[in-house]
Amino acid sequence: MALTITCPVCGKRNGYEFRYGGEDKGPRPVEEGMTPRSWCDYVHMNACVAGVQKEWWCHKNGCGAWFTIHRNTLTNLEVEGVEVTS
Amino acid sequence: MRLDRLPTLRINPSETCTLHYNGKTSAGVAGDTVATALYANGVRVFGRSLKYHRPRGLYSLDGECSNTCMAVDGIPNVRAENTPAKNGMHIDAQNVQGSADFDWMGFMDKLDWLMPAGFYYRTLHKPACLWPFALKQVRKVAGLGKISPDFKMKGRYAEIYPTADVCVIGGGAAGMSAALAAAEGGLRVILLEARPWLGGSFDYRVSPYDGEKALYQRARELAAQVEAAANIRVFKHAANVGLYNNNLVTAFQVGPEGGAFDERYIEIRAASVVVATGCIERPLLFENNERPGVMQVGCAHRLARTYGLLPGRRAVFSIGHDLGLEAAVDLCDLGMEIACVADIREDGQNPDLLLALAEREIPLLRGWVAAKAYGAKQVKKVTLRTLEGSVKRQLECDLLVASAGRTPLTGPLTLAQARLRFDAHTGYFLPADLPAKMHAAGSLTGRNHPLAIEASGRLAGLKAAADCGANTAEAVAAAAARLSQLPGPERGTKLVMAPVKGRKSFICFDEDTTVKNIKQAIDMGFDVPELIKRFTSAGTGPGQGGIPGHNLPLFAARYQALAGATPVPTTARVPLVPTLLATYAGAHHDMCKRTPLDELQKRDGGVFRRIGVWQRARYFSEDFSCREEVLNVRNNVGMLDGSTLGKFRLHGPDALKALQRVYVGNMVKLTPGKIKYSAMCNEDGCVIDDGVVVKIAENDYYFTTSTVRAGETAEWFRYHTRYDGWDYHIVNFTDALGVINVSGPNARKVLQKVADADLSNEAFPFGGYREFVIQGGIPVRAMRLGFVGELSYELHAPASYMVCLWQILAAAGKEFGIRNFGVEAQNVLRMEKCHIILGVESEQRTNLLDLGLGFLWDRHKTETKTVGTVALRQVEADPARLRLVGIEMDDPRRAPRDGSILVDKRIRGYVCTARRSFTLERSVGMALVEAEMAALGTRLEIYEDECNGQKLAARVVPMPFYDPQGNRMRM
Amino acid sequence: MFRRFKPLWGKKPGLKSTYDAVIIGGGLHSLATAYYLAKEQGMSNVAILEKNFIGFGGAGRNTAIVRANQRTQENVPLYKEALDLWPILTKELDYNLMFNNCGNLNLMHSEAAMNAARMNVCTAQFHGVESHLLDPRQIKELEPAINISPDITYPIHGAMFHPPGGVIRHDAVVWGLAKGAAAHGVHIHQQTEATAIHTDGGKITGVETHRGRINSPRVLVSAGGYSAGIINKMMGVKLPISVLTIQAMVTQPLKPVLHHVVSSGMYHAYANQTLKGEIATGAHMDQWPNYTTLTTAHYIKHQAEALSEFLPFLRGVKFMRHWAGLADMTPDMAPIMDGNDPVEGFYMNCGWGYFGFKSCTAAGRHMASFIAKGECPERLKPFGLRRYENHRLMGETAALVTYTPDN
Ligand SMILES: Cc1cc2nc3c(=O)[nH]c(=O)nc-3n(C[C@H](O)[C@H](O)[C@H](O)COP(=O)(O)OP(=O)(O)OC[C@H]3O[C@@H](n4cnc5c(N)ncnc54)[C@H](O)[C@@H]3O)c2cc1C
Ligand SMILES: [Zn+2]
Repeated sequence: MALTITCPVCGKRNGYEFRYGGEDKGPRPVEEGMTPRSWCDYVHMNACVAGVQKEWWCHKNGCGAWFTIHRNTLTNLEVEGVEVTS
Repeated sequence: MRLDRLPTLRINPSETCTLHYNGKTSAGVAGDTVATALYANGVRVFGRSLKYHRPRGLYSLDGECSNTCMAVDGIPNVRAENTPAKNGMHIDAQNVQGSADFDWMGFMDKLDWLMPAGFYYRTLHKPACLWPFALKQVRKVAGLGKISPDFKMKGRYAEIYPTADVCVIGGGAAGMSAALAAAEGGLRVILLEARPWLGGSFDYRVSPYDGEKALYQRARELAAQVEAAANIRVFKHAANVGLYNNNLVTAFQVGPEGGAFDERYIEIRAASVVVATGCIERPLLFENNERPGVMQVGCAHRLARTYGLLPGRRAVFSIGHDLGLEAAVDLCDLGMEIACVADIREDGQNPDLLLALAEREIPLLRGWVAAKAYGAKQVKKVTLRTLEGSVKRQLECDLLVASAGRTPLTGPLTLAQARLRFDAHTGYFLPADLPAKMHAAGSLTGRNHPLAIEASGRLAGLKAAADCGANTAEAVAAAAARLSQLPGPERGTKLVMAPVKGRKSFICFDEDTTVKNIKQAIDMGFDVPELIKRFTSAGTGPGQGGIPGHNLPLFAARYQALAGATPVPTTARVPLVPTLLATYAGAHHDMCKRTPLDELQKRDGGVFRRIGVWQRARYFSEDFSCREEVLNVRNNVGMLDGSTLGKFRLHGPDALKALQRVYVGNMVKLTPGKIKYSAMCNEDGCVIDDGVVVKIAENDYYFTTSTVRAGETAEWFRYHTRYDGWDYHIVNFTDALGVINVSGPNARKVLQKVADADLSNEAFPFGGYREFVIQGGIPVRAMRLGFVGELSYELHAPASYMVCLWQILAAAGKEFGIRNFGVEAQNVLRMEKCHIILGVESEQRTNLLDLGLGFLWDRHKTETKTVGTVALRQVEADPARLRLVGIEMDDPRRAPRDGSILVDKRIRGYVCTARRSFTLERSVGMALVEAEMAALGTRLEIYEDECNGQKLAARVVPMPFYDPQGNRMRM
Repeated sequence: MFRRFKPLWGKKPGLKSTYDAVIIGGGLHSLATAYYLAKEQGMSNVAILEKNFIGFGGAGRNTAIVRANQRTQENVPLYKEALDLWPILTKELDYNLMFNNCGNLNLMHSEAAMNAARMNVCTAQFHGVESHLLDPRQIKELEPAINISPDITYPIHGAMFHPPGGVIRHDAVVWGLAKGAAAHGVHIHQQTEATAIHTDGGKITGVETHRGRINSPRVLVSAGGYSAGIINKMMGVKLPISVLTIQAMVTQPLKPVLHHVVSSGMYHAYANQTLKGEIATGAHMDQWPNYTTLTTAHYIKHQAEALSEFLPFLRGVKFMRHWAGLADMTPDMAPIMDGNDPVEGFYMNCGWGYFGFKSCTAAGRHMASFIAKGECPERLKPFGLRRYENHRLMGETAALVTYTPDN
């Protein structure tokens, strides 16, 4: 496997230049009224999708940007041009 | 005696070399492999097989099996058949007790009935006390090559990472045609070829390519064109070992003798890939099918044509492909007696070849096959039978050329996730669908006709060019049309094995797996090839699937005879060719960061340790308790290189918001000229970093992080603000600025001598931040901190000034006896002050509050959504957590070793850091204990490793131990 | 030896319409649970559903290192129990699991690492598990192949030596447990994929497979790295798991030369010699979740670089096979074993990461008791799912996790 990731700034690059930053779970929730369960859901729980998921990456050995892409976890290939469905 | 006039030779008989084998010297010639040189010297048995110690000989020339694996100059498992012979090499046979010819373990061959498939799972464990002894024996008999535990590999290993538009794997006619076609429009092409020369299966053949030209001539013509093309980069003697998605191709190349490298690792990223790896032969299954003297068609043919060696005097052929007939004719012309050719096929042979056989009066038996080879160490006789077994015939010979047909080398394609499909016409596993931007060409696709092979290569090359954006549509159409007019794939033989029981018919040579073993495994419920493989070990030896890869699934499908069951291939794995670790490691060398003061500290006797990516001076003497270093800081003044500290500038309109998000403290309250100590937590509320923040100007901040966090800090800020779209910039100054820490009661006196600013306690108090100039030239940012608990200045200056600054301070401090202190002395000093080091006094389960750092958290700034504070709020009331406490030992001279545990009936915590303090003349430390034991005065029992139940006594005491009022750092 | 060659885990059984318990996944934990359900809990009307063949997952891909020198007192006893079970199972199953009790040498590359290791050693010794700290000279005596010279990237400061550990033949465990389970009446259904779990009124009612529906009041998901995906898809329960691909490889076989399991956290590598003579080595995981089980060029190279330093003789040896499997990682490197929450009759056993081999027997045994009695055994209590929302991580990782994908 030889992952490549497309950075919005630098283009398609070797996957090892990047850091994976987790499933996209939406913006930070407000603190008010957060229960241990809802906190845990946001912080620890994952969907573990076998298929295409939206996720965060950081171009750590490059421009440093954080951005999202869609990737198929069954093939480890980036899926370009996906419409956000959720 | 070589056939030294042949135009196809790849040796130079006039240049000789000497090898040492079996107590003798053997002469080879330039271009020989180790095995061909030994073969020329009469060696026929090259080693012994794994389980049964059967003699093994030269069977192939591309290293598909371990038959000719030998030890060369101390390196085990070297495939002698394709390793270039070099002058002076020392060769040893493997897995022999005695010699390859006379191996006293040879009797094992008679014991096969004791060792059915998986026998070791069902034996050797009863009674249980037997197993440890059996285990030793199992270990001894297993394994092929021997290597010494202190073996040192010689040679030079390099690595390169070229990119290409098109990468072609395989330098035969198809691969070369593909490369030429892809290169036509100027694209950058890489061509990989495993053998030391281009030409593939054309290279050694004198059959006609077209009217007047022979195949080998055509190969050389193509090779000349390829080598002449400026945009084709050819790597010869470079075996492809891996193919990964997104077209990452790996290979290793063997360097020429005396060249710049012995082997080198090649990693290519290509836009498009053409796989043209051709075919190898499918081994013929019959009794004693691996006896020395049995060899594949290509092996026999190339021994003569490439290496000038007639493989035997009198040969019998048992083959299933026209290449076998071609070899028989050619070898006959070269002077070998051909006793008989048995062809599995009843019909379908090339009429020209039939004619040629007839002209030479070579008897041809159609629908016949070798059933058994005889001869203890070397073939003497063979039995041929009709396919159904009813009629037999015996012939004497010293060579049995045997092959069931061909099998495509699809390894690279399957690695790249192409699916294979069993093709009933050819009997091959052919690629059913290829990944994007990947193409297959040549005999790998089942084609056999020379013109079709080239045409398929050209077509693939043009398609690959199209993948790179070249406009080749018309050319592709023309090439496709041409290919469709040429002969398609030929019918392959259906024969799976000769009509025999299979007790000594080996499906896998490396693991001594017979047809009988496969039947046993299937009977026991191991019904898919992948399971058979695991249970019988077939295909798991040094040559992996090279020998059994095709036959195992064919046989399994036939044996199970399930209605409509098609053979399922086993999985190919990286590396396709066994590859030295030295080669994979390449030019690897340690990469670390050194501070600007590295040289100076070395000169001063620094003992260095690697800390994260850095090399840091840990001690400045052989006394690792650091007594002198510590006391000098406490009583006088010391200097520490703190350059590894993370240093950042954060600026922009939203800089404050970003600070508020990641720091638990309230940064609104920052005032210029004052530092703020604060911490960052992760979402669990665990402290991940601590450091100081300084407000330089409006929307402009400077802050430090711990050494280990420096690399991730920018990422961390951006990650936790990724949804916010805030406008701020973070600049990492870690390498641009160095840090010197001047600490001790005399620190001010030293610094005042060289600084152009007033350093009095009033002008620059504890907790202050100042910028000034040293000796009129060096700009420094100075902070008054107290990590070690003394009057202390942390000076940040541009890295390029650091050496100079250090020397100035050293000179200024000379009269006071200034000296270096290292990281361990700092560790002791800060421990006495109970200043924590993250990861030492904290772990994954401890949060900010557990460490007693709750005072850093501004719990009112909820709208900032600070990382970690939700978790902190939720656990605040939890009574059952670990707490950081100070401990003092009952015995003042005996500190527990770090990492010792605190126990009663269970484990209640552990010692983080403890030292016998020279300053205090007590033994003190910090420990993490369960909260209910954290109260002052609680008695603790410490359980050290190897204590035999003798526990040490301690109690919880107030922190810090040294200068509790903090007067000394405020001096 | 002279026996006929009969199917090891029985003739293929037909799929019944009702079982007392259905187990999804045909790996080690499933087989062990089924074996103990039938043998010790008197529940033998049990089906294992395996979508490929048994041992297809981590069970058939791991490097079978066993040890009991974990960090915390919740974990050590569980792993010790598992370690003690190997010889017992060898006898019970009448199948040679080939326990090579060679001991584990865990290299430490700094003073700080030695101190961290001391905590493990003390914890082990406190629990009666043999484990010691060694200095470089002792390491060299024990394992001459190790390079203790100071001029490598991470010079060796010492090691944690754990004599009771070693290596088992992983396939033998799969086949042996299958043999034992089948002999006690368990049905092993290969090529049978579970596609849905049925519930009614907060209770489990059955499992859908592509071969038809099965009724059952109890379902256990212990499908290795696939568990988290399955549990979310079929039960709508998300887990704190990242499914990563973990890789391993072997060299060509050699005569005995390496006598312990040698591992190094700093170099991210471990190596041991299998009974076949290969040097098996691995450890690396790419940090992005995926189900590919594909290997990487990056890693085989990394492994060569690392081994070149601390086991330099290996430079003269060749890699011959590289493969990968799944590791379902939790934030605290400890598994999740839970049941009857939120649905009665629903059980899960997952999150084993790369520790799921060494633990499978003990974990399976306790899960069997959990499933049969409906009550969580003492030993499994610390491993419940709720520990994450209760901020009670297990402490198996010494180092502070400063940055995980989801944190
Ligand atoms: C390379 C590698 C090295 C390792 N090394 C070690 C080690 O040295 N020591 C150690 O302790 N552990 C090690 N592990 C970890 C260990 O192998 C796993 O933790 C363990 O095997 C997982 O548990 P399991 O065997 O029960 O699951 P698995 O064997 O993974 O079983 C899961 C099964 O579920 C099946 N399945 C999935 N979905 C469905 C469905 N819908 N229906 C039916 N069946 C389904 C799959 O086909 C698979 O067979 C290693 C793992 C790998 C990959
Ligand atoms: Zn970028």
